[in-house]
This record gives sequence, structure tokens and C-alpha cells, in this order.
Amino acid sequence: MKQPWYSFLYVRSPIVKISLAIASLLLMIVLFLFMGLIEEQRMEAQTANWIGREIEKGAELYANNCYNCHGVDGKGLPGVAPALHSKYFFTQRLKDIGWTGSLHDYVALTVAAGRPSKVQSQWAVMMPTWSQRYGGPFRDDQVQAVTAFVLNWEEDALKQGTPDNPDPWQPFLDAPSKATAEEGAAPAAEVTPEPTGPRPPQELFVSMGCVGCHNLDQPQTPTNRGPVGPNLGNLHETAGTHGMDAFTYVHDSIVNPNAYIVEGYTAGIMPSNFAERMSEEEINALVEWLLDPNRQR
Amino acid sequence: MAVQPEIEKKSILQTVLDAADDVFTRLTAGIPAAEVRRMIRGEPPGRPNPRLKPHSEAFLLHIKPTYYHESVTRFTHTFRLGLLSTYLFFVETITGLILMIWYAPTPERAYADMIRLLSNVPFGQFMRDMHRLGAELMVAIVTLHMVRTYLTGSYKAPRQFTWFTGVILLVITLFLSFSGYLLPWDQLAFWAVTIGTSMAEAVPPAIVGETVNLLARGAPDIGANGLLRFYLLHVLFLPLLLFLFFFVHYYKVVHFGISLPSSEEEVGQDTANKVPADRRVYFLPDVMIDEASFLIGFTALMVLATTFFFSAPLESIANPQSTPLHTVAPWYFYWLQGLLKIADKTIAGVIIPGVLLVLLAAIPYLDRNPSRRARDRRVAIISGIVAGIVMIILSWMGTPYYAVQAAPAVEVVQELMPEEGAGLVREIGYKHLPLGVYDTREHPVTDDPEFNEVLHEFAAAIARYEEKDPTFNNAYGILKITQEQPNLKRITWEIYWVSPEGVEDRFIRTFFLHKDSLYWEQYGLKNFSFLRPATEE
Repeated sequence: MKQPWYSFLYVRSPIVKISLAIASLLLMIVLFLFMGLIEEQRMEAQTANWIGREIEKGAELYANNCYNCHGVDGKGLPGVAPALHSKYFFTQRLKDIGWTGSLHDYVALTVAAGRPSKVQSQWAVMMPTWSQRYGGPFRDDQVQAVTAFVLNWEEDALKQGTPDNPDPWQPFLDAPSKATAEEGAAPAAEVTPEPTGPRPPQELFVSMGCVGCHNLDQPQTPTNRGPVGPNLGNLHETAGTHGMDAFTYVHDSIVNPNAYIVEGYTAGIMPSNFAERMSEEEINALVEWLLDPNRQR
Repeated sequence: MAVQPEIEKKSILQTVLDAADDVFTRLTAGIPAAEVRRMIRGEPPGRPNPRLKPHSEAFLLHIKPTYYHESVTRFTHTFRLGLLSTYLFFVETITGLILMIWYAPTPERAYADMIRLLSNVPFGQFMRDMHRLGAELMVAIVTLHMVRTYLTGSYKAPRQFTWFTGVILLVITLFLSFSGYLLPWDQLAFWAVTIGTSMAEAVPPAIVGETVNLLARGAPDIGANGLLRFYLLHVLFLPLLLFLFFFVHYYKVVHFGISLPSSEEEVGQDTANKVPADRRVYFLPDVMIDEASFLIGFTALMVLATTFFFSAPLESIANPQSTPLHTVAPWYFYWLQGLLKIADKTIAGVIIPGVLLVLLAAIPYLDRNPSRRARDRRVAIISGIVAGIVMIILSWMGTPYYAVQAAPAVEVVQELMPEEGAGLVREIGYKHLPLGVYDTREHPVTDDPEFNEVLHEFAAAIARYEEKDPTFNNAYGILKITQEQPNLKRITWEIYWVSPEGVEDRFIRTFFLHKDSLYWEQYGLKNFSFLRPATEE
């Protein structure tokens, strides 16, 4: 029988084969020992990994759904929604409302079931129900992810309370004594330093909370209506159609929101204290900016 | 038990030794210790051959032939691929059973169970990686087994039916692997299986296709019912089916014997079962030692690969509302995905694979050439090689590189930070992403060489697409990295370009990256960076 050229590869000796098998077994034992030694740390790293990934997912959900009302950095918008990135929220809130569970449960439940009541609320918008279980858009894992993201503010929030890093919490009107009686729960309005000059309209639109209810990009049409407040995408076209000139209409709507309610919207939702919170100069600039068809953001 | 007279006759030591040998002989199903010693020393058996006894005594050995022809025991004749396929099936059964302990097939729990398995079960990740590696290897080995059989012409008479059962085993293996794909309930699983089952929908006539699809998914879309069905297919029905066909297949292999190398016998003859006495290699001990040492060595290689180089993927939780960019089938179905890109779903997804399968199963009945020698089978071997090349080309066409490119700006971001999986940015991780704004037009350079690599790749990818795509001109990118929260960075990719009409356009995509997140690639050196803090302490 002719031997092929690669015949030197054939292992014929049973002793060599058995030795190779024993070497393989030893190799496996070494590998298992190695894995066993690092297993504890690997599991820890994996645990942290999945928490980290959950926070990433939560951040994405927050950026797409929550920042309009709770603010890009979670510090809330006056009159729209409370701050979550707040020392008060992490230290006092549960005591004030008498919640006996964990903060995680409180946040998860609020995200899932919302705050449907409008009774005596100072907030312009209700917290919607976000969980699919109650008709919202989030799956359970998404509710958990948003909760993990909100709780991840804790480290930063606990550093608040200094003059250059104030607690942005705004006391609830329905429990003002509870909210303000606590140490370190200084309301945002008191510690926010007075601005030195007129603030730009772009900044006001966000900081005054307008952005929470009014969409700047979408036009307001019968088929495309803003859910809480009218869309402002085509304001320069529609503002002049209400029996007065466009500037007066927009100006009055900011200073005295209930003077003219667009059909289909409820009176009393839009805060009526903007004249106190902005100078006349600022309001005029804001109106002009809103009516500019090519407004820059 | 007349111990007393026996001790009187022999010495007490001899009695104990005899008793020990008796136990040993029972355990080895008929081979005394002295014979085992002779086996290991490579000495010939006595007559009558005592090494045949286990084949009639022991259940597990009675299905093994007592001896083989010397020429088929050479490694390069069969490469032990059939044995390996069988062995991998047992590896899969064992690792799969262990995985089942921590798994519940419901959409509410499946994905969370995967995370729990990875982060809370000692050796959980190893078991999962091993199971996944075994599954992919099994598909590869079964396919190679078929290729080897084809090239040596071993499917010819009298082994036509053995080939036929082998084709069925190949199909079952593919379905087994694919049905396991859905179980982690991540995006990868969900969309691969959605695409896979949607091909069943294309079976004509419509009523049949829709019914098959509905039966597989349990609802119009994959959900709790679909997951349960795939789970039951994966852990019960398909393994039992494979078990059945394996024994038919193996019975035929033993019955006809492994076909000899074609040079060993005359054309048209089959002398596999007429082994001359001087060419016999007995199963005990030679073949057994060979097979056992081979399988142990192979297992060691698998464990080595799993320890350092192979990680089963786990993407985000299944989201029926969002299809990730560049959804791909498992690699062994790339060819099918490639076909689907160039032809209609009914033709490419049902008719062509169906015809291929029938042709494959019918090869022994179509090939009337009695010779198994390569020089007499030029047509068969060349057409086999051509078919192999076509499969490889189709597989390449199944990858995202062919015909599914999205807009250039989307592809640039996808290259560096894909929607699912790792990508360069997630691989270097949180600590190598310094905060700041980086504009590719300014060719920024930082102190971090790994981050410089990202900036370089970003600019290079934009330049590449600018050259390739006429709608993507004067493009530049801005990468913004800001601190979103403690331990969480926001990474914003902005790409600006000018369309052929001279209109400026832009694409913005935001991702978040946490300090503790670990992302990994399926193949490649594993990330052991979590070991560093311990050594520093």
C-alpha cells in the first residue's frame, strides 16, 4: 500500500494517543481552574454591565419621551413638571408623601401609572401613564430602564444645595408646608440668581417650560394638532387670523393665556404668571422670535 | 459463596486478586485486567479473541463494529466527521439541559433569564457560549461530513439510503440550530426568526403558506406562542427526530461498512465488509483509543475556544416595533438571504431551496456512474465544486455588504457605533471617550491614542463614502461627547453634507454609553478588562 505524503501526520502509537488525551484533559482542568478563579469577578462585571446597558436604554427613552417636561438635565421646568435631578427628590420626597416603599418603586410606579389626577395640581401637564399595562407605550423592561436612568442621577443630585449648585426642586402647591419645611429643600425660585440682562427667546422658550406643550417644528392643522397646546410650526401664518394683529395675539396669549383659547383646548392649563417671570423686553423678543418664519433655535 | 475452601486452595492474596479481577471483568464487560494491560502495551490478542466479548455483552458497544478495514481508520479518509457530529449532538444535549434549568420560554422572562444566566450563574456564560459554539460547529461539521462523502463517492450503491438519511439529518440539524436562535428573545433572535418564518408564508398556494406560518408563529406575529412553539421544537421534537434518524443512519453505516478508499477495490465492487484478516483493525483497543483521544482533544479545543475566543451574542431585548439596521440570518443561512435579495420570496425562499434539497437527496439515484474514483467522476466533482463556489458567492451576497447599504451618513455611524452589537467606539469604551466636540475638518488629535483611532476612522469613513456616493458631497462630521449623568456619556454623531442639488443636509444620531457596559463581538479575543481592578488592589 502506497503511503501518501502526509502519512507522517498519522498517529499510530496508542501510547502517544493516550498521552495526548491526558494532556488534553490536563489542559481542560487548567482552563476550568482559570475560569473558576475569575468567575466571581466575571459575574460582577456582567451584573454591572447589564445595569449599565439598562441605564443607556433608559437614557434613550428619556431623551425621546421625558425631557420635554422634565428638562434635558432632569431639573424640571417651572410650571410644567418637577425636577428629578434634585437632592430633595432623592432625600426627602418619599418622607413628605409618606411612601413606605423604595424610591425605585416610587419612580417605577409613577412612570408606569402616571399621575392622572388634575385636582389642585400646579403642573400644566398630567404625567401620562407610560406602561403598556395601562395603555401607554412602554414595555415593562422599558419602565425599568427609565427608572434606572432617573435613579442614576443620585450621585450628582446629592451634591446639590450649594449656592452655585442649587437644588432645582419646586415645592408642590398641594403640600407646600411639607415640601418647604424640610432642610435643604430650597425652592428653585429663591436660589435662582436674577438674570442681569434680557435672556434670549430660545432660552426662555425652554426655561419657561413652553417647550413642554408647544411643538416648534410641527404645524398646527386640523389633522395635526398638538396634544396639550397648539403646535407653533406655522404660527406666523395663523396668528393673524384671530381678529387682531399677529403680534398682539401672541403677546396677549403669553401674558393672559385664558383670554383666547383655541377651539379644542382647555382653559387654565397654560400658566398665567409669565408677565411676572419675564420682563416686557423679553416677552416682546419672544413674540418676535415666535413669529419669525425662519426662526433659529 | 464458598470462600473458605477457595482460600484454603489458593492463598488469601490470590483469592482477593481473583475477586478483584472478576469485578474488573464485569465492569469492562468481559475483558480481564491482564488483557487490558496487553492492549495498552500494543500486544496482539489471544485466541479466541477475548476483546470481542464486550461487543456482545455491552449495549453501548453492540452497535459498534468489532473491526474496521485498516484503510478507513486513517484520519484523512473520514476525518472522523460523522463521529464528531454525533458527539456534538451529545455536547448540545448536555449543555442544553443545563441551560434549561435557568430558562423559562415566555417573553416576560426569557431575556431576563439570559441576563441572570450571564451575571448570576457560575459558569453560566461558559455553558451558553459552549452550547452556541457547539451548535455552529455541528452545522459546519455535518456539512463537511456531507462534502467528504460526496467527494469520495461514498453515496453510491449500496449506500444510497444512508446518504438520504444523512440529508434528512442535515436538514434537522439546520432546523435545530435555527429554532434555538429565537430562545434568548433578543433583537438578533427575534428578527432572524421573523424573516425565517416569513419565508414559510411564501409557500404556494397562499392558504398553505399562511397556515404553515401561523402554525410556526402561533399568531400572526411572533410572541408568547411563537416562543413556546420554538422552544418545544428545539428541546423536544427536533432532538427526538434527530435521534430517530441518527440510528437509522448509523445502522446503515455499520450494516454496509465504511466505504473503502476507491483505490482499494475494483470499480463497481463493494468489499467494505470483506476485510482480509491482515488488514483488520479491532475496535478494542485501537479504534476506541483513537476515537476517545480524538474526542477528548476536540473537547479541549472547544473549551479553549470558549474560554478565550468565542462569546455567544446577546443584543437588546426583542422589540417588534423596531427592526435593527442590517438584520442578518445566522451565517449558515447567508446563502438563502443572498438568494432572497435577487429573487422573489416564493422562488428564492421556497422553490429553489426545495428543489435543491430534493436534488441533494436524489444524488445517489441520479448519479449512475459506478466508479468512485476521482478521475472517472470529473463531471460530478467539478459540478460539486461549482455548487460550493456558488454557495460561497450567494453567502457573500447575503451579508450587508451586498445591496442593502443605507444612506451614507447612516452607514458611517453604523460602522463605528452600530445600533446593535459592539463596534469600535463601544469596544474602546467609556474611559477612552474624552468629553469635547471634535470636528473632522479640523483633524483633531487628543492624548488618547485609542480615541484618535476612532476620530481617524470617522473621517476615513466619511471620505470613503464621499468618494463612492455622488449624492454625498463636501461631507464632514462632528462628534460630541458630553457627560449626561454620573458614569453616563452622551455621544452625538452629526454628519453634514451637500446633495447634488446643492442643498445642505444633515444626519444626527445620539447614543449613550455607561462606564460599566461591556460590549463584545461573537468571534475574537474575549475582553478580560474586568480583571484589572483586582490586580491593582
